[in-house]
Amino acid sequence: MKRSRSNSTAGVSPNGQGAKSAKKVKNGKNGNGHLAARFYGMPLPGVRPEELSGNLIVVEGADGSGRSTQISLLTEWLESEGFAVETMGLRRSYLVGEDIDALLAENAVTRLTLALMYSTDFFDQLERRILPALRSGLIVLADRYIFTLIARAAVRGISRDYLHGIYEIALRPDLTFWLNVRPEVAFDREFKKSQTISYWESGRDMSLSNDLFQSFVRYQSLIKREFEYLSKRHGFIEFDGEASVSEVNRALRTRIAAHLGIRGTHYKPSHALAHLWR
Amino acid sequence: MATVTSDVLAVEQPAAEKPPSSKEYPGALVVVEGIDGSGKSTQLYLLKRWLEIGGYRLHFTEWNSSPLVKSATKRGKQRRMLTPTTFSLLHAADFADRCERQILPLLHGGYLVLADRYIFTAFARDAARGCSPHWLRNLYSFAPIPDITFYFRAPLDVAVNRIVAGRPKLKYYEAGMDLGLSLDRAESFRVFQERILNNYDQMIETDRFVLMDGTVRVNKLQKTMRELLSERVDLARFAPKKK
Repeated sequence: MKRSRSNSTAGVSPNGQGAKSAKKVKNGKNGNGHLAARFYGMPLPGVRPEELSGNLIVVEGADGSGRSTQISLLTEWLESEGFAVETMGLRRSYLVGEDIDALLAENAVTRLTLALMYSTDFFDQLERRILPALRSGLIVLADRYIFTLIARAAVRGISRDYLHGIYEIALRPDLTFWLNVRPEVAFDREFKKSQTISYWESGRDMSLSNDLFQSFVRYQSLIKREFEYLSKRHGFIEFDGEASVSEVNRALRTRIAAHLGIRGTHYKPSHALAHLWR
Repeated sequence: MATVTSDVLAVEQPAAEKPPSSKEYPGALVVVEGIDGSGKSTQLYLLKRWLEIGGYRLHFTEWNSSPLVKSATKRGKQRRMLTPTTFSLLHAADFADRCERQILPLLHGGYLVLADRYIFTAFARDAARGCSPHWLRNLYSFAPIPDITFYFRAPLDVAVNRIVAGRPKLKYYEAGMDLGLSLDRAESFRVFQERILNNYDQMIETDRFVLMDGTVRVNKLQKTMRELLSERVDLARFAPKKK
């Protein structure tokens, strides 16, 4: 494990910036460069990057990678350290979250429409919930981010340039972690959890195989390949999602602590979350 | 677990979300654009009636008519929670649905497709709200390019008076109230429409608009429209088969 990869060219700077948010802007080597770097391209209309004093931390990974477990544990740890936390995830917007659920259930939607509904869902959360949180100096933990959305659409044949064009007005995360697992392992974990595999997580709409296991593995392999590309392009910090929960958690905390300037942190999950600690 | 260090194997990908060329399908796409009150819908209606009566193979489509995103748009508008970006994306999702499930299949099936407003509405209106024109162009880059785009242009006062006189109350987003241009709806509407009009004017050359004077008498303008359409589009392709 600890196969962390730092990538200085792709923009996300995993090097701990030490200082707390307010200082961060001033500490940037060149102020303008740092501000511009908070967005991939043009900032969202009406947003002043210098106001965003909080931190955005993204955890990506397939279903079964342990992503949601880690988000729960990190939330508790950060709160115990005195940081206020806000979370975001897919299909959680007030505006279209339920509409996407309905579209997925109906299964009559085209790939492009679905991709654009997901982007609406994403930006509704970003603009109305996440940006205000970042303005107030909160830590935002994102349970998946634009990368999942890009990967899912790209494997369905929508051009990567097109997708990056849509998300260039999105906020660039301070840290992006990728919990990488083999599709076979993800399958085992997901099956154990819900006794079945979801239609969309196995890419059934792509007609990859009539066999659910085969379909799941092929689909997740395509997604994984897309993530390898995204990881290079955006400088993900990659961890082995097959390591134990506590090991992954320690690795995540080390990177986040360095970024936020937290020193000498110790963490044991509370009673409520103890069952996650394996 | 094997470490992922190998070169990135890219999934086969199109270079960009290129619109299909009009040579790829036997149909034709006719578009009307212009600000509210410019007379475009009246003129397209008359054009449609002319073609329908003549038995042509045609389909009429409107901007923002799909049931797909209706609940979201309604929710967003009622609660006034749409930002320029989500407003734009919702309409793009709606258009993508119409494009992939109606417009493109019909063009491939050899229909004459008449569109009351098209992507230029989004370019003009969403840019007036503050979205970047470059971002908008990318967002709609999947849309087929029209065979002809009629741009109906009327002086701002003429167009705005037509709308304000005929409607008891302008809606919040319709009047551009979300931009905080003015507390007075009629005044906000006017300033918003002026911005949109300016954005349309910028596209006349780049998007090869056919300029139509919205102040010309209705039947006279319709005659011109029919002539121009016949010149640009081979209507015989859509005419009823002779027995």
